[in-house]
Amino acid sequence: MRKRFKKWVMGRTDVMDRILDDASEIHDQPRETIKKQRMELVREMEERPGYERTVEAEQKGFYLIYHIVAVISCILLIGVLLYTVAMLPRYGEENTRADEVVERYVEHGLEETGAVNIVSGMILDYRAFDTLGESHVLFTALICVMILLRVDHKNMRSEYEDYYTVLSDRYYSLERDTIIRTMGKILLPCIFVYGIYILLNGQNSPGGGFSGGAVMGTGLIITAAAFGFDRVDSFLPLRVSMWMTFLSLMFYSFAKGYVFFTGANGLENHIPKGVPGAILSGGLILPLDIAVGLVVAGTMFGFYSLIRRGNIGGA
Amino acid sequence: MTGTPMEWIRFVLTAVFMIVGLCSFICAVLGVFHFGYIMNRLHAAGIGDTMGLMSVLVALMISAGFGMDLFKLIAVAAFMWCTSPVSTHFMGQIEYFTNPDLSSYLKLRRRRGDTEET
Repeated sequence: MRKRFKKWVMGRTDVMDRILDDASEIHDQPRETIKKQRMELVREMEERPGYERTVEAEQKGFYLIYHIVAVISCILLIGVLLYTVAMLPRYGEENTRADEVVERYVEHGLEETGAVNIVSGMILDYRAFDTLGESHVLFTALICVMILLRVDHKNMRSEYEDYYTVLSDRYYSLERDTIIRTMGKILLPCIFVYGIYILLNGQNSPGGGFSGGAVMGTGLIITAAAFGFDRVDSFLPLRVSMWMTFLSLMFYSFAKGYVFFTGANGLENHIPKGVPGAILSGGLILPLDIAVGLVVAGTMFGFYSLIRRGNIGGA
Repeated sequence: MTGTPMEWIRFVLTAVFMIVGLCSFICAVLGVFHFGYIMNRLHAAGIGDTMGLMSVLVALMISAGFGMDLFKLIAVAAFMWCTSPVSTHFMGQIEYFTNPDLSSYLKLRRRRGDTEET
């Protein structure tokens, strides 16, 4: 019994063997041919110059050094983080090391930014410059991934799908799978509504641009996975998504530049703050949240689409 | 020994469900790191995703009692049970359709109703 269990765990026998006794095995011919082609590709790769050098480097203990360095850096990181946690004041006690900046944020945050959620007020008002940089980092990363991974007629070998791309699983999709489609139909409206809620309510409750944008980007990814990239293309083609991301960033830059030059340091800010707690409150925070959310959603979907298909959207 | 018998029953039930859930999570983590092939790892991860998660959530439901938290936990359980088996299925399908060396890992069998070209 124990031996059989061990064999099963190691994957040598199948408990279903007896149950499915009458079923015949499939010897799948197309898979065999593809396998042969793959083996030829591997052999071709092994004959290339430089391959042996790589293998030698691996045998010379590269992985040993790699593992040692990884373990040491992980232990260092854990130590530093635990030390920092130990330095934190206990919950509810007065923080004696807090400087005026923290006091200022906590005491005057609501009246100065108009946001009930102090974190939103901080990242999109006091420290909006930092968030501006983060959005630009996301956009730059998307552009870099696009440069590296985009497949179009300029870098294909011919106009037709050539030998290598036919083998690639880039052209395979599961659009007709009933399970995924059904769950997508049920879940997608909830996901999009929840993402929009997080996005619009960022100044009043935890959330905001980054988390709302991530939820909406996930919704886009699920749409692409369940219904195909063409479905996403029907409401968000490449051109629209690029313009959306670009215009969001432009709006953020100009709006925040205006605020930096006119009202950042106590000068009057001309945008009304509204009633704290209402959806239309917090002055510039709500539009900035929406801009950041659109950037994040576009970036997430762009990453998925570029890695999966080598392009944003269908095509 | 303080507390009414009812509270003790609740505490013991919570502990039992929590321990079952944590054990299945440990199984899942061990399996994911032990196995080398994606299908076995998916199976191991699926145990944690369904049974482990449900046990932990049931434990939390018992300890939360009747109220708004209970409904939130039910919503979380429904969402997770809808999504994680579907994602496991998705990964399995992708592996089945795109791996050309599949027959060296698995025995592919024809079901009785299936035709020649599958």
